[in-house]
Amino acid sequence: MSDSSTTETAEDEQPTTTTTTAGETVEEVQDEWIEYDFDGPAKFSATDLNVWYGDDHALHDITIDIPENSVTALIGPSGCGKSTFLRCLNRMNDRIKAARVEGSVELDGEEIYQEGVDLVELRKRVGQVFQSPNPFPKSIRDNIAYGPRKHGDINTGLLARLLGGDDREREEELVERCLRGAALWEEVSDRLDDNALGLSGGQQQRLCIARALAVDPEVILMDEPASALDPIATSKIEDLVEDLAEEYTVVIVTHNMQQAARISDQTAVFLTGGHLVEYGDTDQIFENPQSQRVEDYITGKFG
Amino acid sequence: MNTDASRNDLVKRGNSTLGVAAVLLAAGALLGALLGALALFEAFAVTDAVAGLSIARWFGVLLAGLGVALLGVGATSRAGLVRSEPDRTAGPVAGVAFSLVGLVIGGLLASQTLGFGTLWPIGALIVGAVALLLTVYPRGDLGATLPSGLLSLFTGIVVATGVIAPGWSWSPIPGSFTLPGDIAVPLLAIVVGFLVAWMAARAYGGFGTQGKQASAYLLVSASAAGMLALLVVLVSYIVVRGWAPMTEGVKWGLFWANWTYFYVPPIHRYVVIDGPVLWFHWPFVMNGHALLNDVNGIMPAIVGTVWLVLGAIVFAVPLGVGAAVFLTEYAGQSRFTQLVEVSTNGLWSTPSIVYGLFGWAFLVPRLGNGFSILSGQLVLGFMLLPLVIITSREALTSVPNAYRDASAALGVGKWETIKSVVLPAAMPGVTTGIILGIGRIAGETAPILLVAAGSPFPSDAPNVLTSFQLSATPPFVTNDALLQATSALPYQLYAVITAGVNKNAGLAWGTALVLLLVVLSFYAIGIASRIYFRKRLEA
Ligand SMILES: Nc1ncnc2c1ncn2[C@@H]1O[C@H](COP(=O)(O)OP(=O)(O)OP(=O)(O)O)[C@@H](O)[C@H]1O
Ligand SMILES: [Mg+2]
Repeated sequence: MSDSSTTETAEDEQPTTTTTTAGETVEEVQDEWIEYDFDGPAKFSATDLNVWYGDDHALHDITIDIPENSVTALIGPSGCGKSTFLRCLNRMNDRIKAARVEGSVELDGEEIYQEGVDLVELRKRVGQVFQSPNPFPKSIRDNIAYGPRKHGDINTGLLARLLGGDDREREEELVERCLRGAALWEEVSDRLDDNALGLSGGQQQRLCIARALAVDPEVILMDEPASALDPIATSKIEDLVEDLAEEYTVVIVTHNMQQAARISDQTAVFLTGGHLVEYGDTDQIFENPQSQRVEDYITGKFG
Repeated sequence: MNTDASRNDLVKRGNSTLGVAAVLLAAGALLGALLGALALFEAFAVTDAVAGLSIARWFGVLLAGLGVALLGVGATSRAGLVRSEPDRTAGPVAGVAFSLVGLVIGGLLASQTLGFGTLWPIGALIVGAVALLLTVYPRGDLGATLPSGLLSLFTGIVVATGVIAPGWSWSPIPGSFTLPGDIAVPLLAIVVGFLVAWMAARAYGGFGTQGKQASAYLLVSASAAGMLALLVVLVSYIVVRGWAPMTEGVKWGLFWANWTYFYVPPIHRYVVIDGPVLWFHWPFVMNGHALLNDVNGIMPAIVGTVWLVLGAIVFAVPLGVGAAVFLTEYAGQSRFTQLVEVSTNGLWSTPSIVYGLFGWAFLVPRLGNGFSILSGQLVLGFMLLPLVIITSREALTSVPNAYRDASAALGVGKWETIKSVVLPAAMPGVTTGIILGIGRIAGETAPILLVAAGSPFPSDAPNVLTSFQLSATPPFVTNDALLQATSALPYQLYAVITAGVNKNAGLAWGTALVLLLVVLSFYAIGIASRIYFRKRLEA
């Protein structure tokens, strides 16, 4: 076991006695946490992460390490804090006024909740795909080139053309590479200048993935990216996610157990109230969950 | 058995007799109202005779006939001769409407015909109460038809027998208000026609819930049609009166003339290219006022108005959009933004003369100490500003947050996001606001009168474009033309109308028509740009 592997243990000093839906107390639930060891470096490691929305304590003491170049699925009933946790990883929570975050999240060992963190740089490294497809009302090309253009990596404006620094060709390459990466190239290669809102929902979602790839991130966060899509579009996204894991670290929220089982390498189960209850190899979580409540949730008995 | 009887048929087959009669009745009543409106706008004279009877009396005959028919419809329904589904009562709305009509008629009868003197309220109350009872107490079908039918019959008889006729007049306040018969008759036709049509629509739906539905539909569609008619009347009135003066002396022709020529060295020749040339002379919009003109025109006023509006836009739009961006994107919801919101709404409803007064007292002394286009542009800009802020804020808040999130998640900063995503998405809304605002400021007279008005009929237009000059001392750019007074279309119109003795009505209508066209062309530009911005957002 390498020295960067981590161990998670129950924190039995928890004073809270909130009763959960299944009638167990929180301490009982947390006693059932299991250790999860993995080889290789951790991309993210969150320690004692707490989030409040006003007085609403949405995440309780989350401690988790997410390995690099793999797919991590977050599952759990609605309102348990999956999206909140995801937003902690690229500090999109900063955009919510009521949200307050305490604890630590490290990206490649570097604390992202410290002073002086450049949010632009952070979000360039940690991209996000949202639950409902949200392409800009611009052409397909402009959608993909948007990030690099804004970051000054590509200049195609009038001024750039006059000064001879025109990056048109590089932009063409980038657009094609990202669209191929998002398995969309075949479908849209002949209409790159059409408005992105004219695409189907599934195509739009893959365009959003392509747009996220264009800024060359290391991590891609996905919040139920397939929830608005039909089975065929969903399976395309799923295939895509598995491919992406070769190059990127993917953290994906899903409500679909089969989806989580199919595509993820490890799974974290959150339960109501914002507690991380179980985390481990996906196969192990689905075949042999340690906690009765997780088993109930996975088999559909509650949640 | 019992339940079957109380339940209405699910499928209604064919036209019921009641339905046909009601449609005819409503059509007749609306026709009467329409003819009344036409007579009111002097499409024809009510004194003209048709088939030996004056049109005024024909109105009476029509109303009396409608009354009888409506009473007949109600009676047959009550007697169960036709199928209907009447409610228990005609309802409070109809009750209030007819009791008001009853109050008026009773009051008039008591005071004017019967000579009750100061006791006329007694007559009014009695007739009003009877009308209320007649409407509300009987079953729905009778309650709907009895008062309206009686009213129509009564007015019909009064008009047909010539009691109220074109020669008749009534002065409730002698010397200050007189209602002549040739206005009273069409007016009666309109009011009574609408009441009858309303109740006929109830009959069409069988007097029950369906009937109320039908009558409500009639009322709302009638008000929509009325509004449209008003618009058409207004515009056509101006076009009809303004067309002749506006197009006076228009000349044009097609000529074969030289377009261009150039020297071709190899053949040592000049090549001359000729082509058709359109020659066009439109004195009313191309001339100013001068002694030797064939037709005196209003070009200086047109140019003045265009400069005033353009200046106001150039001043107000960037400022307003900027303020809106700050308030929506940066300031968030707070006491401060609420205060700003309230005060922008207040500014928008501030009367234009107040803006004018401010400009007169504050701007005029500081900008060249005289009336000037620049002051006018600024004052109109002040007036435009609140609307631009309000509509831009509206447009910005309706841009989905998903766009902002998507952009932020790509690591793009706030200002870049606003510039490249939020503002383009808000542009259609912003332009709508500007379009609305132009309509208001282009026609403003009061502030122009106070800050920018020179001679209403100058001979030359302000030469703003060619008067820009650079200088080495502040303010570096000067423009004498901007500091001169100007004429403007609404101001000129005002000057013509108040001219008194030498009033030139043709000039006034022509000016009004041109003003309408100028505003419409600004609209056209605005709408075209809105379509352009929207196209860019849509698939
Ligand atoms: N912007 C917000 N303001 C206030 N409270 C919020 C906000 N977002 C989330 N919450 C609260 O935080 C808790 C966790 O919400 P979160 O969206 O993270 O749940 P989730 O697990 O993603 O649920 P779902 O599966 O339905 O998306 C909920 O109780 C929710 O009401
Ligand atoms: Mg969620």
